[in-house]
Amino acid sequence: MIERRLAEVEGQRRAVRAKRSRAVGQRTIAGEMERFGLIGAWIIVVIVLGAVVPDAFLSWLNFSTIFSSQAVLVVLTLGLLITLTAGDFDLSVASTLTLSAMTLTVLNAQHGWGVIPSVAVALGCGVLIGAINGAIVLFFRIHSLIVTLGVGTFINGIILWISDSQTIAGVSFDLVSWVIVNRFPPGGGISLTFYYAVFLCLAIWYCFEYTTIGRRLLFVGRGREVARLSGIRVDRVRLGSFVVGSTIAAGAGVLYAGMTGSADPTSGLSLLLPAFAAAFLGATSIVPGRFNPWGSFIGVYFLVTGITGLTMLGVNTLVQNLFYGGGLVVAVTLSQLVRKRQPQSIS
Amino acid sequence: MKFGKQLAALISVAAFAVALGTAGGAKADAMADAEALIKSHQTLPDFKAPGPAFDAKACMKDKKILEIPLTMANPFNAEIAKAMAAAAAEVGFEFKNWDNQLKVDQWVQGMAAAIAGGYNLIDLQGGIPPAALGPQIDEARGKGLKVTTTHLYDVTQDIPPNLDGSARMNYTRAGQLMAAWAFTKTGGKPNVVIIGSDEIVPTAPFVKSIQDTLKGYCPDCKQQHVNVPVTEWATKIQTSVQSALVADPSINFILPIYDSMSQFIVPALRITNRLGEVKIATYNGTPFVLDMVRTGEVDMDVGESLGWIGYAGIDVNMRILCDIKPAVTTLNTPLYIFDKSNIKTAGEPATFHDGYGDSHLKGFRKLWGLK
Repeated sequence: MIERRLAEVEGQRRAVRAKRSRAVGQRTIAGEMERFGLIGAWIIVVIVLGAVVPDAFLSWLNFSTIFSSQAVLVVLTLGLLITLTAGDFDLSVASTLTLSAMTLTVLNAQHGWGVIPSVAVALGCGVLIGAINGAIVLFFRIHSLIVTLGVGTFINGIILWISDSQTIAGVSFDLVSWVIVNRFPPGGGISLTFYYAVFLCLAIWYCFEYTTIGRRLLFVGRGREVARLSGIRVDRVRLGSFVVGSTIAAGAGVLYAGMTGSADPTSGLSLLLPAFAAAFLGATSIVPGRFNPWGSFIGVYFLVTGITGLTMLGVNTLVQNLFYGGGLVVAVTLSQLVRKRQPQSIS
Repeated sequence: MKFGKQLAALISVAAFAVALGTAGGAKADAMADAEALIKSHQTLPDFKAPGPAFDAKACMKDKKILEIPLTMANPFNAEIAKAMAAAAAEVGFEFKNWDNQLKVDQWVQGMAAAIAGGYNLIDLQGGIPPAALGPQIDEARGKGLKVTTTHLYDVTQDIPPNLDGSARMNYTRAGQLMAAWAFTKTGGKPNVVIIGSDEIVPTAPFVKSIQDTLKGYCPDCKQQHVNVPVTEWATKIQTSVQSALVADPSINFILPIYDSMSQFIVPALRITNRLGEVKIATYNGTPFVLDMVRTGEVDMDVGESLGWIGYAGIDVNMRILCDIKPAVTTLNTPLYIFDKSNIKTAGEPATFHDGYGDSHLKGFRKLWGLK
């Protein structure tokens, strides 16, 4: 019943979109420009930087390095996307990442646990945090922004406690190998961590586009009351989004520990704003107006490509910040211009 | 033909002599100087009195010190605070550590508590910039309290006029050691990336020391400086190092001036397949980085005993309160090089205190007339 109703609504929306496209041919071009604008901007950045520093920038080593190094941010952003799509904010994702990395490291490096049980407990932390966030938000009817801010700060205290405020090294080399040392193709390829991020992107994209649960999530994010009246168990979907989002963030923590071979109590927290930036930047492309995994994926790599090139040119770190922040604002602004400044309704 | 052979031999000999003399752009005596400097910091630290002996127990009677660390969430500050408290307990005067979490309002509360509590001296320990507490420092000094810093300024930096004293650290020497290490380990041909955080007070002289030392050893050697603010270490260090390595494959040493940066450099070396080939030399002696020296991920770490810093900081503060002349403005804490040859002495896992010996305890007790 619900599925049929969802299919009907989606069908109506597609029909309206198609009608509009037929009516105004230029809108189709504009729409395509909007969808692929970020990819175009990415290509332009590559061409410009490739022309300025051709030997270094256009080398395979450079691109394999770029792809290998940003998987943690991609996975964290994907975790964030789940709750954002359901219409909630999760400000505790970076804390979840850090707690996961620290838990894994403490268990593995200090208590001699194996990699698999340590990873399982680390992911379990994500499940627990998501359940706590969701339960408080839904039971007490408090805005997710407030709850996740508080829970995130609480987690930060736990991280300091379990780590004794220290950075801990000595994560098993097995994990490090399965994150960044092993490559595909073997030898000079890209680290496996990149492919984990790609598979997760594929999975979330498939879920959003072709599964009932993905459609329900989208509908809940678009309008809770409408979704409720359509028979969707909104609270259950939102609770699930918190749990899945936090678990993915904990997975990002596992990759983080594998990437650095260590865990420290604070550094992972600085990934929160870049993850939000990537999520919002991603919402301007591929499926404009909607948080989507491929848009975010491209957003992350667009930004890091620019920053890598600027670093090669020897520019000051402050210019990197200008590019990062400016890139986000310009992309969103251009997207709005293409949409003829329609009011934003991202979910 | 014979003349041609002679000419060729002459040219060859001259070229060989030039090569020997320059060693890739390096001065002939530079290598000996660098090796001597390194060697002087590879022997177990010995205590050298920072100033004349004095009766600490007598002059500190009825005096109180309140110390505000940068943050107690950083083990570096926490361990120094513990050592300061231990030193104060040995002398027998009241000492209070103002626990905080890197918040300016908490530092301000600490300053107010010191004034209200009748303390005689406030010590800003391990990184609090006095500029952030200007009005509070003026108020405290106006009410007769002394205000000092411990382990903030480099020995080449002037102590600001609104402070009564400062226990400065020899970051300049740490920079010289890092430069010397890169120079010797590359056979006089270093090509380095220096990573610093410009917003930290002693970073400028620290980085300058590395740059000047390298220029002195080999004016033609390549070096570049990357500034990464502390809040962006996790997101910028790795990408910066990766980009530098891709842009210039001849880079052979990374010199992060604070050793906790190393955790973000190692992944960059792994991703670019340069781990083991490109070395890391750094400063601080933080335990997890010493563990990375053991595993070979970090080549060298210039360590400093935090227990020693705590005792030396108390020594400087007591001299200010007791008006002992000449004033001491530098921590007498030695710098000690950890590499694979002596890393076992740092403990397994490494600690903040192992490896340095405890000559400072006996030395300070004797200096203060305790035993």
